[in-house]
Amino acid sequence: MAAVTVGPPPARRRGRRRRLPAWHVLWIVVAVAYFLVPIVSLVQFSFGGVVNGHSAGFHWYGTVFADPNFRSSFWLSVQIAIETVVLSNLLLIPTTFWIHLRLPRLRPVMDFVSVLPFVVPPIVLIVGLIPFLRLFTFLYSRPEVLAFIYVVFALPFLYRSLDAGLRAINLRTLAEASANCGGSTWSTLVRVVLPNLRSAVIGGSFLTVAIAMGEFTISSLLSFNTFPVYLFNIGQTTGNEAAALSVISLLLTWALMVSLYLVGRGGRTTAQVAATR
Amino acid sequence: MARIELRGLRKQFGGGVVALDRLDLDVASGEFVSLLGPSGCGKTTALRIVAGFELPDEGEVLVDGADVLHLPASRRNMGMVFQSYSLFPNMSAKSNVEYPLRIRRQPRAERDRRARELLGLVGLAKQVDRYPHQLSGGQQQRVALARALAHEPGVLLLDEPLSALDAKVRVQLREEVRRIQLELGITTLYVTHDQEEALSISDRVAVMSEGRVEQVGTPAEVYARPRTAFVASFVGTVNRLEARVVSSVERTVRCGEVVLTVAADVFDHSDGSSVALYLRPEDVGLRPTLNGDGGGGGGGDNGLPGRVRSVTFLGPVTRVGVDCGLGALVADVSSETALGLSLDQPVSVVVDSARLRTLAAS
Repeated sequence: MAAVTVGPPPARRRGRRRRLPAWHVLWIVVAVAYFLVPIVSLVQFSFGGVVNGHSAGFHWYGTVFADPNFRSSFWLSVQIAIETVVLSNLLLIPTTFWIHLRLPRLRPVMDFVSVLPFVVPPIVLIVGLIPFLRLFTFLYSRPEVLAFIYVVFALPFLYRSLDAGLRAINLRTLAEASANCGGSTWSTLVRVVLPNLRSAVIGGSFLTVAIAMGEFTISSLLSFNTFPVYLFNIGQTTGNEAAALSVISLLLTWALMVSLYLVGRGGRTTAQVAATR
Repeated sequence: MARIELRGLRKQFGGGVVALDRLDLDVASGEFVSLLGPSGCGKTTALRIVAGFELPDEGEVLVDGADVLHLPASRRNMGMVFQSYSLFPNMSAKSNVEYPLRIRRQPRAERDRRARELLGLVGLAKQVDRYPHQLSGGQQQRVALARALAHEPGVLLLDEPLSALDAKVRVQLREEVRRIQLELGITTLYVTHDQEEALSISDRVAVMSEGRVEQVGTPAEVYARPRTAFVASFVGTVNRLEARVVSSVERTVRCGEVVLTVAADVFDHSDGSSVALYLRPEDVGLRPTLNGDGGGGGGGDNGLPGRVRSVTFLGPVTRVGVDCGLGALVADVSSETALGLSLDQPVSVVVDSARLRTLAAS
């Protein structure tokens, strides 16, 4: 369909637009293709194959949704993700707040500790953790144990997000102003600091959900049938069904991203907070 | 309203920096006292100790005779306005002012009434629903002032609240701070490094240096009768001249070749001792002379021969730099008078002997 332009030409409205050099365009196309081609291939593969002499179409999607193991494994992963988010935030929000406010000397220590999960491979971590977790027999056999482990993996992401959020606000003055108004440390945290950390908490929580929903190694080693383990098992037998599962997983993740963005948009931006400093 | 007494406050920070060195200060009920001093003199530390954000190493803070040092900041019933904008960014102006009342679980209707009343008092009746980022710096500090007053504190503390504002807003807001303080009669401790600010709004000014109070007095006392060299030089512009006492009985001093008579009320120097003479620019008169001999040459009119070295127009007055052989002196003369002065012109520097202050030379 032909585009119809109304009003003055773009050059007159916004000044002369500089043309991108050809190699810039090429570079952008390569970068976009790098990410898009696998996704497009995945989607294509999820509709591929022949079933009963006909093109598969949405067959693999129907198979996935009809499988009770899909629902149970997905629900298990969602539960663990929620538990991980709650645990991580409960642990890290007061800790980071307290370190920023009262123990700023510990910040370099926290910075160091928070990157450890990056440098210690999950397999090493879990081999070290298993003897310790076995001490808690009531927990060891339950899938909730995964949430306790994932808190460690989520630490760098949530801590960095909270740390950046707290740096963006004038925490010390706000806390002192709140105390001067009669507010306790708790009311300062809940009524003053947390509302200004909304974006940071949501951003960090989203990454935590992504980790908890996608972690395979530990849940597999501990024999819990989480969504990634289910996905792996399906992939061993039916490639097309695994591709359909991956597409569903991607769509759910994007839906989650959009919803978190919409929730976060209701809060104040860092720039607005900084403007009041 | 509350009475504040600071007794022997001492505070040393890491690295051996002594912020307060046995600070004593009394603030009467309903009084407006400014802590005035250069950066690092300990004035903010003193205020933060009163507010409960710092603990002194020694000393006590009494409010109406009761030691409050053991009380956390949240239970001292003081209102504070901070240097940096301290409004809660997630709350509107009204919600900010309501915050101390919400903490005290006051009914919603009462909170609303009080917040609107206070925002009206600081001239922001139409901005109640604005968020801090939608307000100018001056407006934010007005909201901060309203919030500090919301819970009817016994003491109001202000920590350089105007220093981040531009000059015009600063003057306007300081007058409003004083108007509101007088209207409410609240005991106020105000920290500033701006002498003009302190002199213009305070009942009394405590000039601080290196953790100590150098002098406490009314703005006029501190300005006209400084007790230390630091106060003389820090508060306002001052001319300092080296001199030697000729006669302690006749209160005469020799300044170079000129003998000056000091008519100040205090003169406790012995014959032959070195003294420093302090003289405000507005107490120095200039008379053009024809031959440049300085006129009287001392005694009667305390005239010193001099020559104009600079002329700076300041609006209603003109600051004239003169070289009188003893060093550079500055004189503030009316701009009309200054019209007749030109560079290198010989003048007679006339000193108002009643305004001469003498302090032992350091």
